[in-house]
Amino acid sequence: MSDKIKNIVVSVVFIFIITFFFILSIITDDVELSYSERRNLAQLPQVSWDTVLDGTFAKKFNQYVVDQFPFREEFRNVKANIHFNLFRQKDNNDVYVVGDNILKIEYPFNENSIIRAAKKFNDLQDKYLKDANVYYSIVPDKNYFVAKQYGYPSIDYEKVVSIMNDNITDMEYIDIFDCLELEDYYKTDTHWSQDKIQDVVNKIATQMNFSDRLQNVVYEEKQIPNFYGVYYGQLALKGKPDTLKYLTNTTIQNASVLNYEDNTTTKVYNMDKLEAIDKYDVFLSGAVSLLKISNPNATTDKELIIFRDSFGSSIAPLFIDAYSTITLVDIRYINSNLLDQYIDFKDQDVLFLYSTLVLNNSVMLK
Amino acid sequence: MLFSSIDFLYYFLPCVIILYFIVPNKFKNFILLLTSLFFYFVGEPIYVLLMLGTIFSAYVHGILIDKYRGTKLSKIFLISSIVITVSLLGFFKYTDFFITNINEIFNSSIALLKIALPIGISFYSFQVISYTIDVYRGNAKVQKNFLNLATYVALFPQLIAGPIVRYTSVEEDLESRKHTFEGFAQGATRFVIGLAKKILIANVLGEMCQDFRLCDDKTVLFYWLYGIAFCLHIYFDFSAYSDMAIGLGRMFGFKFPENFNYPYISKSITEFWRRWHISLSTWFRDYVYIPLGGNRVGKWKLYRNILIVWLLTGFWHGADWTFIVWGLFFAILLMIEKAFLGKFLEKLPSIISRFYLLFLVMISFIIFNADGMGQAIQDIKGLFGANGVPLINDITLYYLQSYLVVIIIAIIGATPFIKNAVLKLKENEKMRKVINVLEPIVIVLIIVATTAYLVDGSFNPFLYFRF
Repeated sequence: MSDKIKNIVVSVVFIFIITFFFILSIITDDVELSYSERRNLAQLPQVSWDTVLDGTFAKKFNQYVVDQFPFREEFRNVKANIHFNLFRQKDNNDVYVVGDNILKIEYPFNENSIIRAAKKFNDLQDKYLKDANVYYSIVPDKNYFVAKQYGYPSIDYEKVVSIMNDNITDMEYIDIFDCLELEDYYKTDTHWSQDKIQDVVNKIATQMNFSDRLQNVVYEEKQIPNFYGVYYGQLALKGKPDTLKYLTNTTIQNASVLNYEDNTTTKVYNMDKLEAIDKYDVFLSGAVSLLKISNPNATTDKELIIFRDSFGSSIAPLFIDAYSTITLVDIRYINSNLLDQYIDFKDQDVLFLYSTLVLNNSVMLK
Repeated sequence: MLFSSIDFLYYFLPCVIILYFIVPNKFKNFILLLTSLFFYFVGEPIYVLLMLGTIFSAYVHGILIDKYRGTKLSKIFLISSIVITVSLLGFFKYTDFFITNINEIFNSSIALLKIALPIGISFYSFQVISYTIDVYRGNAKVQKNFLNLATYVALFPQLIAGPIVRYTSVEEDLESRKHTFEGFAQGATRFVIGLAKKILIANVLGEMCQDFRLCDDKTVLFYWLYGIAFCLHIYFDFSAYSDMAIGLGRMFGFKFPENFNYPYISKSITEFWRRWHISLSTWFRDYVYIPLGGNRVGKWKLYRNILIVWLLTGFWHGADWTFIVWGLFFAILLMIEKAFLGKFLEKLPSIISRFYLLFLVMISFIIFNADGMGQAIQDIKGLFGANGVPLINDITLYYLQSYLVVIIIAIIGATPFIKNAVLKLKENEKMRKVINVLEPIVIVLIIVATTAYLVDGSFNPFLYFRF
């Protein structure tokens, strides 16, 4: 190709590409949700003199055009491939792959955050739980099982436990680290798989003295295929989905769940959430500040309160046979000073169940 | 609006190119001015008036300097023009710095003004000053067409982060310029290369520097990795912006001066500053150093001149003591080289003089990037294990493994190796034709790759926007 033709080709190609995507961006319909990234995509911002002059319109417009760019998913896939395969980088936006497991780096270790969480638990106990039997347990995130071995930065898990033990007063610690392994978690998601946590349930039940009430409980396993977990979308590479499994029996099927946020009642496994961005929301309808599970088949009047994060959603159903009611409190979404307006604290069993991910970022606990 | 952003690349740029090339020649400057003002308005809605005021001041002063040429009034108007421009720059950029230092020295509590720094003010102020001085010196004809002068100052490719284009460099182009496929293709290629340097190299290394700062488990090796990565990051970040600016200018028929010439292959600090941010160093040379007497003075006056120029260079980069120390660091090194080291370096094997240069430049950029002198000293001590950190740990190994390929690509890209290899191959007619076929393909691949990074919403700040 002569220099002259090359110059024409380069000029035309350059103008064509930028104009093509400009026109395509304008004519294609805006999308509301990104299922892979689990978030709402930015929409065209409203124009006003105020937003133009204070610069917020420009910022929002920039976010809008990035979010609504044509072939967004394909471009994210190209980026991830360059990152991993050309630049040989070990993570993409902190997400990495070990075998067929997708994980997200949790680093740096925030010692103050762990202390803050412990103090928060102490404060809650002082305020509401003086007469209760209070236990706490820590769920290791997936990095615990592989990060060190494969040379990825991770938090100091032993230190998390020791800081919590040193700072928490009058609560009994239930160590579940040994009950878990990497295979107990979804490959594409943060969470543990409900069908793999029987050891955790047994350990907690034994230490909290309700194992006898779970002795003869049997479950039927149900499966929901094509579960793409939260890390799958963040990784942006093509891969196999998980199967979401859940355990059920007559007690669980008969139980009802009261959502204090909107005063609605649902089933323990909310199948409407299969259409939501995150299928894991099938477990107790996902992120809700305050829930009460009532068990009409209960043979006991014992009650349980679980202060929890999202790991609690899938383990709580496995405690239903042992309690008449289980109240689940997520203080990431409700100010803990308001709890006595909704909960009658007396002599319930209480479990604080939090993952290391939340403890290392405890600023979110209100 | 960043050049390396979806809204610039896929909204602003196609609109400007289409508008620019469909209007007749006599309206092209008007379109460039209008789109440049819009470009600036998007980022700085209010300060666009400040920029227009600065341009208007330069326009009026230029005419008055020319009108009263040969009289004292001409000089008075020159001084007035410089005072106004420097005062505006000083007010917006340095007021809080001076207040902070006065408060510390006199234990006073004068309230800070907390004025946001108008983007690009350091660059366009220097362009305006160069215009009035050049008119006064008779090196440039006075521009009587406000539109042309405003187009020169506000021209969006070089408005907010340089290169500091001197009026004389584009004087003729403003009146009339040729538009050819050759020029457009060269510009587009240069722009795309800049885009790749910025997004694929500078941003990735910038992420590593940010991770280093957040890391609590630093090691001696990590400090060195950071020092090297930041040197490469700042070079690729800033030279990429210059590449994009020069490329955009070329698309519209302008020939902007080069701003970088592989500075890391230099063998002395003196040579480094002939290759790094060339438009700034030549600006200081022509408008400060030479008027002070330059080299043609006694030894002590020469050192004084170097000290003044480098104090100003440091201070130009930012209202912080780290920048002043950074400037002074170079002043001292340049004085030492002028006194005796320069001749000695010439006799040394080039590998030694290159290591000398790279090490000192790395130290300078560690100071430059530090958040205060305390952090700069900590970072420099870290290079030698003087702050008690271990030699190496797993975290450092992780970052080394994760960024090694990008660092190697960056090191190769910081030398003229690839450029020389392509030029050598092009000497063969057959290879030239093959390269001509490959060039558009590579451009498409780079656009796809950089767009992919932009769509993923990666780390993307421009370092030189803060100056």
